[in-house]
Amino acid sequence: MNDCPSNQEWKFSEILADPKIRARWEKVRKYFFMRESTYDMANRCNIRCEGCYYYEGDKQFAEENRDPAAWRELMRSEKARGITYVVLAGAEPSLVPELCEVCFQEMPLGTIATNGLKFIPESINYKIHISVWGNDATSFEIRKARNMLLRQIGNYQGDPRAVFVYTFTRNNIDQARQVAGILAENGCKLTFNMFSAPVGYDGQLRHTVSSLNQTRKIMTDLLEEYPASVLFSHYSAVAHTHQSGLHDLYSCSYPRMNPSTDIGLGRSFRQYRTDLTWNRAVSCCVPDTDCADCRHYASGSAVVTARLFRHAADPDTFKSWLDYVDTYLAVWVMGYEKGDNLCNHLVLPPGQDVF
Amino acid sequence: MSTERNVEKITLRVAEIMIEELKLEDVTPATFDPEIDLIDEVGIDSMDLATVALVLRDEYAIRIDEDDYPKLTSIRLISEYIDNKLKSVS
Repeated sequence: MNDCPSNQEWKFSEILADPKIRARWEKVRKYFFMRESTYDMANRCNIRCEGCYYYEGDKQFAEENRDPAAWRELMRSEKARGITYVVLAGAEPSLVPELCEVCFQEMPLGTIATNGLKFIPESINYKIHISVWGNDATSFEIRKARNMLLRQIGNYQGDPRAVFVYTFTRNNIDQARQVAGILAENGCKLTFNMFSAPVGYDGQLRHTVSSLNQTRKIMTDLLEEYPASVLFSHYSAVAHTHQSGLHDLYSCSYPRMNPSTDIGLGRSFRQYRTDLTWNRAVSCCVPDTDCADCRHYASGSAVVTARLFRHAADPDTFKSWLDYVDTYLAVWVMGYEKGDNLCNHLVLPPGQDVF
Repeated sequence: MSTERNVEKITLRVAEIMIEELKLEDVTPATFDPEIDLIDEVGIDSMDLATVALVLRDEYAIRIDEDDYPKLTSIRLISEYIDNKLKSVS
Protein backbone atom coordinates (compact mmCIF):
# COMPACT_ATOMS: atom_id res chain seq x y z
CA MET A 1 0.00 0.00 0.00
CA ASN A 2 1.27 3.44 -0.84
CA ASP A 3 1.87 5.53 2.26
CA CYS A 4 1.94 8.98 0.71
CA PRO A 5 -1.37 10.68 0.00
CA SER A 6 -1.07 12.88 -3.06
CA ASN A 7 -0.56 16.62 -2.63
CA GLN A 8 0.27 16.37 1.07
CA GLU A 9 3.43 18.21 2.05
CA TRP A 10 5.08 16.20 4.78
CA LYS A 11 7.17 17.67 7.54
CA PHE A 12 10.31 15.74 8.34
CA SER A 13 9.10 15.39 11.94
CA GLU A 14 5.83 13.88 10.71
CA ILE A 15 7.72 11.28 8.68
CA LEU A 16 9.87 10.46 11.69
CA ALA A 17 6.79 10.07 13.90
CA ASP A 18 6.56 6.46 12.69
CA PRO A 19 8.64 4.55 15.27
CA LYS A 20 10.03 2.13 12.68
CA ILE A 21 11.20 4.99 10.47
CA ARG A 22 12.65 6.86 13.44
CA ALA A 23 14.56 3.78 14.64
CA ARG A 24 16.03 3.11 11.19
CA TRP A 25 16.95 6.79 10.74
CA GLU A 26 18.78 6.79 14.07
CA LYS A 27 20.52 3.55 13.09
CA VAL A 28 21.85 4.75 9.74
CA ARG A 29 22.73 8.32 10.68
CA LYS A 30 25.42 7.06 13.06
CA TYR A 31 27.44 6.29 9.92
CA PHE A 32 27.22 9.71 8.33
CA PHE A 33 30.80 10.31 9.51
CA MET A 34 32.14 8.00 6.78
CA ARG A 35 34.24 9.80 4.17
CA GLU A 36 35.70 7.60 1.48
CA SER A 37 38.49 7.53 -1.00
CA THR A 38 39.58 4.71 -3.30
CA TYR A 39 42.96 3.22 -4.11
CA ASP A 40 44.29 1.08 -6.95
CA MET A 41 46.56 -1.41 -5.21
CA ALA A 42 48.35 -3.00 -8.17
CA ASN A 43 48.43 -2.80 -11.93
CA ARG A 44 48.25 -6.61 -12.24
CA CYS A 45 45.39 -9.05 -12.20
CA ASN A 46 45.32 -12.85 -12.30
CA ILE A 47 42.46 -12.83 -14.83
CA ARG A 48 41.34 -10.50 -17.59
CA CYS A 49 37.62 -9.75 -17.89
CA GLU A 50 35.81 -8.23 -20.82
CA GLY A 51 34.61 -4.74 -19.91
CA CYS A 52 36.91 -4.34 -16.88
CA TYR A 53 37.10 -0.63 -16.09
CA TYR A 54 40.66 -0.90 -14.72
CA TYR A 55 42.12 -1.69 -18.12
CA GLU A 56 40.54 1.35 -19.75
CA GLY A 57 42.20 4.77 -19.80
CA ASP A 58 45.74 5.46 -18.66
CA LYS A 59 45.57 4.43 -14.99
CA GLN A 60 46.54 0.87 -16.00
CA PHE A 61 49.97 2.22 -17.01
CA ALA A 62 50.78 3.67 -13.57
CA GLU A 63 53.81 2.03 -11.99
CA GLU A 64 53.16 0.07 -8.83
CA ASN A 65 54.39 1.50 -5.58
CA ARG A 66 55.10 -1.62 -3.51
CA ASP A 67 56.71 0.14 -0.57
CA PRO A 68 54.65 -0.53 2.59
CA ALA A 69 56.14 2.57 4.26
CA ALA A 70 54.86 4.77 1.43
CA TRP A 71 51.38 3.25 1.76
CA ARG A 72 51.44 3.74 5.52
CA GLU A 73 52.37 7.36 5.06
CA LEU A 74 49.59 7.80 2.50
CA MET A 75 47.00 6.31 4.87
CA ARG A 76 48.15 8.59 7.68
CA SER A 77 47.90 11.66 5.48
CA GLU A 78 44.48 10.54 4.29
CA LYS A 79 43.31 10.21 7.87
CA ALA A 80 44.69 13.66 8.62
CA ARG A 81 42.55 15.21 5.87
CA GLY A 82 39.41 13.54 7.21
CA ILE A 83 39.14 10.27 5.26
CA THR A 84 37.57 7.56 7.44
CA TYR A 85 36.84 4.83 4.89
CA VAL A 86 38.93 3.23 2.15
CA VAL A 87 38.04 1.13 -0.88
CA LEU A 88 40.97 -0.94 -2.12
CA ALA A 89 40.37 -1.99 -5.70
CA GLY A 90 42.12 -2.29 -9.09
CA ALA A 91 43.53 -4.22 -10.54
CA GLU A 92 43.62 -7.13 -8.04
CA PRO A 93 44.33 -6.24 -4.39
CA SER A 94 44.71 -9.88 -3.28
CA LEU A 95 48.06 -9.93 -5.12
CA VAL A 96 49.46 -7.39 -2.62
CA PRO A 97 48.16 -8.51 0.80
CA GLU A 98 51.07 -6.83 2.60
CA LEU A 99 49.88 -3.44 1.32
CA CYS A 100 46.25 -4.16 2.21
CA GLU A 101 47.44 -5.07 5.71
CA VAL A 102 49.18 -1.72 6.09
CA CYS A 103 46.03 0.10 5.00
CA PHE A 104 43.94 -1.83 7.52
CA GLN A 105 46.39 -1.07 10.34
CA GLU A 106 46.03 2.65 9.69
CA MET A 107 42.40 2.86 8.54
CA PRO A 108 40.11 0.32 10.21
CA LEU A 109 37.03 0.81 8.00
CA GLY A 110 37.04 -0.27 4.40
CA THR A 111 36.34 -2.73 1.62
CA ILE A 112 38.48 -4.72 -0.79
CA ALA A 113 37.12 -5.45 -4.26
CA THR A 114 38.51 -8.76 -5.50
CA ASN A 115 37.82 -11.56 -7.95
CA GLY A 116 38.00 -13.94 -4.98
CA LEU A 117 40.44 -16.42 -6.52
CA LYS A 118 43.18 -15.73 -3.97
CA PHE A 119 42.25 -15.67 -0.28
CA ILE A 120 42.89 -12.43 1.57
CA PRO A 121 44.22 -13.08 5.09
CA GLU A 122 41.67 -12.81 7.90
CA SER A 123 43.88 -10.31 9.72
CA ILE A 124 42.67 -7.75 7.16
CA ASN A 125 39.23 -7.21 8.61
CA TYR A 126 37.70 -5.23 5.77
CA LYS A 127 34.59 -6.19 3.88
CA ILE A 128 35.58 -8.35 0.91
CA HIS A 129 33.52 -7.88 -2.27
CA ILE A 130 33.83 -10.87 -4.58
CA SER A 131 32.88 -10.22 -8.17
CA VAL A 132 30.58 -12.69 -9.94
CA TRP A 133 29.69 -12.18 -13.59
CA GLY A 134 27.28 -15.05 -14.30
CA ASN A 135 27.44 -18.81 -13.97
CA ASP A 136 30.67 -20.70 -14.42
CA ALA A 137 30.19 -21.17 -18.17
CA THR A 138 29.79 -17.42 -18.63
CA SER A 139 32.70 -16.69 -16.28
CA PHE A 140 34.91 -18.91 -18.39
CA GLU A 141 33.76 -17.15 -21.52
CA ILE A 142 34.30 -13.55 -20.39
CA ARG A 143 36.87 -13.99 -17.58
CA LYS A 144 38.77 -17.05 -18.82
CA ALA A 145 38.67 -18.66 -15.38
CA ARG A 146 37.35 -22.17 -14.76
CA ASN A 147 35.06 -23.17 -11.83
CA MET A 148 35.12 -19.61 -10.65
CA LEU A 149 32.13 -19.67 -8.28
CA LEU A 150 33.25 -22.93 -6.70
CA ARG A 151 36.71 -21.51 -6.04
CA GLN A 152 35.31 -18.23 -4.71
CA ILE A 153 32.97 -20.08 -2.33
CA GLY A 154 35.82 -22.37 -1.31
CA ASN A 155 37.83 -19.33 -0.25
CA TYR A 156 35.11 -17.33 1.46
CA GLN A 157 32.29 -19.60 2.66
CA GLY A 158 31.42 -18.68 6.25
CA ASP A 159 33.65 -15.60 6.18
CA PRO A 160 31.77 -12.66 7.75
CA ARG A 161 33.76 -10.25 5.60
CA ALA A 162 32.52 -11.68 2.32
CA VAL A 163 29.77 -10.31 0.10
CA PHE A 164 29.41 -11.78 -3.39
CA VAL A 165 28.59 -9.07 -5.91
CA TYR A 166 26.66 -10.32 -8.93
CA THR A 167 27.13 -7.98 -11.88
CA PHE A 168 24.18 -8.05 -14.25
CA THR A 169 25.12 -7.67 -17.89
CA ARG A 170 22.71 -7.84 -20.79
CA ASN A 171 23.56 -11.51 -21.25
CA ASN A 172 23.57 -13.10 -17.80
CA ILE A 173 20.26 -12.00 -16.30
CA ASP A 174 18.62 -15.43 -15.96
CA GLN A 175 21.82 -17.01 -14.65
CA ALA A 176 21.41 -14.97 -11.47
CA ARG A 177 18.77 -17.46 -10.29
CA GLN A 178 21.20 -20.36 -10.46
CA VAL A 179 24.04 -18.38 -8.86
CA ALA A 180 21.82 -17.00 -6.06
CA GLY A 181 20.59 -20.52 -5.30
CA ILE A 182 24.14 -21.86 -5.03
CA LEU A 183 25.28 -18.97 -2.84
CA ALA A 184 22.22 -19.24 -0.58
CA GLU A 185 22.77 -23.01 -0.18
CA ASN A 186 26.31 -22.27 0.94
CA GLY A 187 25.26 -19.56 3.39
CA CYS A 188 26.93 -16.75 1.41
CA LYS A 189 25.74 -13.13 1.27
CA LEU A 190 24.94 -11.67 -2.13
CA THR A 191 24.28 -8.21 -3.50
CA PHE A 192 23.82 -6.85 -7.01
CA ASN A 193 25.76 -4.63 -9.36
CA MET A 194 25.02 -3.40 -12.87
CA PHE A 195 27.45 -3.57 -15.74
CA SER A 196 28.27 0.04 -16.55
CA ALA A 197 30.07 0.44 -19.84
CA PRO A 198 33.56 1.89 -19.91
CA VAL A 199 34.02 4.94 -22.15
CA GLY A 200 34.06 3.80 -25.78
CA TYR A 201 32.87 0.26 -24.98
CA ASP A 202 30.95 -1.22 -27.88
CA GLY A 203 30.50 -4.82 -26.74
CA GLN A 204 27.56 -7.07 -25.96
CA LEU A 205 27.37 -6.47 -22.21
CA ARG A 206 25.87 -2.96 -22.29
CA HIS A 207 22.27 -2.81 -21.02
CA THR A 208 19.18 -1.90 -22.99
CA VAL A 209 15.82 -0.65 -21.69
CA SER A 210 14.51 -4.19 -21.99
CA SER A 211 17.42 -5.75 -20.10
CA LEU A 212 17.09 -3.11 -17.38
CA ASN A 213 13.43 -4.01 -16.89
CA GLN A 214 14.23 -7.74 -16.81
CA THR A 215 17.02 -7.15 -14.32
CA ARG A 216 14.76 -5.15 -11.98
CA LYS A 217 12.25 -7.99 -11.99
CA ILE A 218 14.78 -10.68 -11.20
CA MET A 219 16.44 -8.56 -8.50
CA THR A 220 13.15 -8.20 -6.63
CA ASP A 221 12.28 -11.87 -7.20
CA LEU A 222 15.59 -12.99 -5.69
CA LEU A 223 15.25 -10.52 -2.81
CA GLU A 224 11.95 -12.15 -1.93
CA GLU A 225 13.16 -15.70 -2.56
CA TYR A 226 16.40 -15.48 -0.56
CA PRO A 227 15.83 -12.78 2.10
CA ALA A 228 18.52 -14.20 4.39
CA SER A 229 21.18 -14.16 1.67
CA VAL A 230 20.37 -11.22 -0.57
CA LEU A 231 21.45 -7.81 0.71
CA PHE A 232 19.30 -5.50 -1.38
CA SER A 233 16.08 -3.47 -1.37
CA HIS A 234 13.30 -2.66 -3.79
CA TYR A 235 14.56 0.89 -4.06
CA SER A 236 18.10 -0.35 -4.77
CA ALA A 237 16.59 -2.21 -7.73
CA VAL A 238 14.77 0.92 -8.90
CA ALA A 239 17.79 3.20 -8.59
CA HIS A 240 20.14 0.85 -10.44
CA THR A 241 17.86 -0.31 -13.26
CA HIS A 242 16.17 2.96 -14.14
CA GLN A 243 16.37 3.85 -17.81
CA SER A 244 18.29 6.95 -16.74
CA GLY A 245 21.69 6.36 -15.17
CA LEU A 246 22.68 7.44 -11.67
CA HIS A 247 24.05 10.80 -12.78
CA ASP A 248 20.86 11.81 -14.55
CA LEU A 249 18.74 10.62 -11.62
CA TYR A 250 20.72 11.92 -8.68
CA SER A 251 23.42 14.23 -10.06
CA CYS A 252 26.66 12.40 -9.31
CA SER A 253 28.63 13.97 -6.48
CA TYR A 254 32.05 12.49 -7.33
CA PRO A 255 34.65 15.05 -8.47
CA ARG A 256 34.72 13.80 -12.05
CA MET A 257 31.16 15.04 -12.57
CA ASN A 258 30.92 17.58 -9.78
CA PRO A 259 33.05 20.71 -10.06
CA SER A 260 32.15 21.96 -6.57
CA THR A 261 34.77 21.64 -3.86
CA ASP A 262 32.55 23.23 -1.21
CA ILE A 263 31.36 20.17 0.66
CA GLY A 264 30.86 16.39 0.46
CA LEU A 265 32.53 14.06 -2.05
CA GLY A 266 33.44 16.93 -4.38
CA ARG A 267 35.62 18.25 -1.60
CA SER A 268 37.16 15.15 -0.02
CA PHE A 269 37.09 12.23 -2.47
CA ARG A 270 40.25 11.12 -4.24
CA GLN A 271 40.95 8.13 -6.46
CA TYR A 272 44.59 7.10 -6.13
CA ARG A 273 46.40 5.18 -8.79
CA THR A 274 48.83 2.46 -7.84
CA ASP A 275 51.72 4.92 -8.06
CA LEU A 276 49.94 6.94 -5.31
CA THR A 277 49.12 9.89 -7.55
CA TRP A 278 45.62 11.20 -8.13
CA ASN A 279 43.92 13.52 -10.56
CA ARG A 280 40.76 15.38 -9.59
CA ALA A 281 39.48 15.55 -13.16
CA VAL A 282 39.10 11.76 -13.38
CA SER A 283 38.33 10.96 -9.75
CA CYS A 284 35.33 8.75 -9.11
CA CYS A 285 34.75 5.26 -7.78
CA VAL A 286 34.79 3.61 -11.22
CA PRO A 287 37.07 5.80 -13.37
CA ASP A 288 36.78 5.49 -17.14
CA THR A 289 33.17 4.37 -16.90
CA ASP A 290 30.84 6.14 -19.30
CA CYS A 291 29.03 8.45 -16.84
CA ALA A 292 25.79 8.36 -18.81
CA ASP A 293 25.70 4.57 -18.46
CA CYS A 294 26.88 4.41 -14.84
CA ARG A 295 24.62 2.30 -12.61
CA HIS A 296 27.49 0.87 -10.61
CA TYR A 297 26.72 -0.28 -7.05
CA ALA A 298 29.70 1.54 -5.57
CA SER A 299 28.69 4.78 -7.19
CA GLY A 300 25.07 4.50 -6.08
CA SER A 301 26.10 3.81 -2.51
CA ALA A 302 27.47 7.32 -2.29
CA VAL A 303 25.36 9.17 -4.82
CA VAL A 304 21.90 7.96 -3.72
CA THR A 305 22.81 8.22 -0.04
CA ALA A 306 23.95 11.83 -0.50
CA ARG A 307 20.46 12.76 -1.71
CA LEU A 308 18.87 12.55 1.72
CA PHE A 309 17.17 15.92 1.39
CA ARG A 310 15.09 15.14 -1.69
CA HIS A 311 14.02 11.75 -0.33
CA ALA A 312 12.56 13.26 2.85
CA ALA A 313 9.40 14.07 0.90
CA ASP A 314 6.88 11.50 2.14
CA PRO A 315 7.00 8.29 4.22
CA ASP A 316 7.29 5.88 1.29
CA THR A 317 10.08 7.74 -0.44
CA PHE A 318 11.96 8.18 2.82
CA LYS A 319 11.52 4.52 3.78
CA SER A 320 12.89 3.57 0.37
CA TRP A 321 15.92 5.76 0.92
CA LEU A 322 16.45 4.29 4.39
CA ASP A 323 16.31 0.77 2.90
CA TYR A 324 18.87 1.81 0.32
CA VAL A 325 21.23 3.22 2.97
CA ASP A 326 20.67 0.23 5.28
CA THR A 327 21.61 -2.05 2.37
CA TYR A 328 24.69 -0.07 1.46
CA LEU A 329 25.93 -0.09 5.07
CA ALA A 330 25.39 -3.86 5.39
CA VAL A 331 27.35 -4.39 2.18
CA TRP A 332 30.22 -2.03 3.01
CA VAL A 333 30.68 -1.92 6.78
CA MET A 334 31.99 -4.80 8.93
CA GLY A 335 29.61 -5.62 11.76
CA TYR A 336 26.65 -3.66 10.40
CA GLU A 337 23.55 -5.86 10.37
CA LYS A 338 20.88 -5.15 7.79
CA GLY A 339 17.33 -4.73 9.09
CA ASP A 340 14.15 -5.83 7.33
CA ASN A 341 13.29 -3.54 4.46
CA LEU A 342 10.67 -0.94 5.38
CA CYS A 343 9.25 -0.49 1.89
CA ASN A 344 8.56 -3.65 -0.09
CA HIS A 345 7.27 -2.19 -3.30
CA LEU A 346 8.78 -0.13 -6.07
CA VAL A 347 8.87 3.61 -5.47
CA LEU A 348 9.94 6.04 -8.19
CA PRO A 349 13.00 8.21 -7.64
CA PRO A 350 12.03 11.79 -6.72
CA GLY A 351 11.01 13.81 -9.76
CA GLN A 352 10.60 10.76 -12.04
CA ASP A 353 7.39 9.39 -13.48
CA VAL A 354 8.68 6.20 -15.12
CA PHE A 355 11.01 3.42 -14.03
CA MET B 1 10.52 43.35 15.48
CA SER B 2 13.53 44.79 13.64
CA THR B 3 15.26 42.64 11.05
CA GLU B 4 18.43 42.71 13.12
CA ARG B 5 16.68 41.40 16.21
CA ASN B 6 14.84 38.83 14.17
CA VAL B 7 18.06 37.50 12.63
CA GLU B 8 19.59 37.41 16.10
CA LYS B 9 16.71 35.32 17.39
CA ILE B 10 16.92 32.98 14.44
CA THR B 11 20.67 32.72 14.95
CA LEU B 12 20.23 31.46 18.49
CA ARG B 13 17.59 28.96 17.46
CA VAL B 14 19.70 27.68 14.53
CA ALA B 15 22.64 27.22 16.90
CA GLU B 16 20.40 25.32 19.30
CA ILE B 17 19.16 23.01 16.50
CA MET B 18 22.69 22.49 15.22
CA ILE B 19 23.96 21.51 18.67
CA GLU B 20 21.04 19.17 19.31
CA GLU B 21 20.93 17.48 15.91
CA LEU B 22 24.66 17.06 15.47
CA LYS B 23 25.36 16.38 19.15
CA LEU B 24 28.03 19.07 19.27
CA GLU B 25 29.89 19.36 22.55
CA ASP B 26 31.67 22.22 24.34
CA VAL B 27 29.45 24.86 22.80
CA THR B 28 26.13 26.51 23.73
CA PRO B 29 23.75 28.55 21.56
CA ALA B 30 25.11 31.69 23.20
CA THR B 31 28.77 30.81 22.62
CA PHE B 32 28.38 29.40 19.09
CA ASP B 33 30.19 31.89 16.85
CA PRO B 34 27.70 32.65 14.04
CA GLU B 35 30.55 33.51 11.66
CA ILE B 36 32.51 30.31 12.13
CA ASP B 37 32.84 28.18 8.98
CA LEU B 38 30.80 25.07 9.67
CA ILE B 39 32.63 22.98 7.09
CA ASP B 40 36.25 23.99 7.66
CA GLU B 41 36.20 24.76 11.36
CA VAL B 42 33.39 22.67 12.86
CA GLY B 43 33.87 19.69 10.52
CA ILE B 44 30.25 19.43 9.40
CA ASP B 45 29.67 17.44 6.20
CA SER B 46 26.95 17.42 3.56
CA MET B 47 24.80 14.81 5.35
CA ASP B 48 24.88 16.87 8.56
CA LEU B 49 23.90 19.99 6.68
CA ALA B 50 21.05 18.18 4.92
CA THR B 51 19.75 16.95 8.28
CA VAL B 52 19.83 20.43 9.76
CA ALA B 53 18.15 21.84 6.65
CA LEU B 54 15.27 19.36 7.06
CA VAL B 55 14.76 20.35 10.69
CA LEU B 56 14.88 24.06 9.81
CA ARG B 57 12.36 23.51 7.02
CA ASP B 58 9.97 22.13 9.64
CA GLU B 59 10.73 24.75 12.24
CA TYR B 60 10.16 27.78 10.01
CA ALA B 61 7.73 26.26 7.50
CA ILE B 62 9.85 27.50 4.60
CA ARG B 63 10.83 25.90 1.33
CA ILE B 64 14.57 25.22 1.10
CA ASP B 65 15.98 24.37 -2.31
CA GLU B 66 18.30 21.39 -2.48
CA ASP B 67 20.83 23.54 -4.30
CA ASP B 68 20.77 26.18 -1.58
CA TYR B 69 21.64 24.43 1.65
CA PRO B 70 25.21 23.34 0.70
CA LYS B 71 26.05 27.05 0.39
CA LEU B 72 24.83 27.86 3.90
CA THR B 73 28.16 27.35 5.59
CA SER B 74 27.81 29.52 8.69
CA ILE B 75 25.05 30.12 11.18
CA ARG B 76 24.95 33.75 10.05
CA LEU B 77 24.33 32.70 6.43
CA ILE B 78 21.64 30.24 7.52
CA SER B 79 19.87 32.85 9.66
CA GLU B 80 19.87 35.46 6.92
CA TYR B 81 18.60 32.88 4.43
CA ILE B 82 15.72 31.98 6.76
CA ASP B 83 14.95 35.64 7.47
CA ASN B 84 14.78 36.37 3.73
CA LYS B 85 12.52 33.38 3.14
CA LEU B 86 10.19 34.48 5.93
CA LYS B 87 10.05 38.01 4.57
CA SER B 88 9.21 36.76 1.10
CA VAL B 89 6.20 34.79 2.36
CA SER B 90 4.86 37.45 4.75
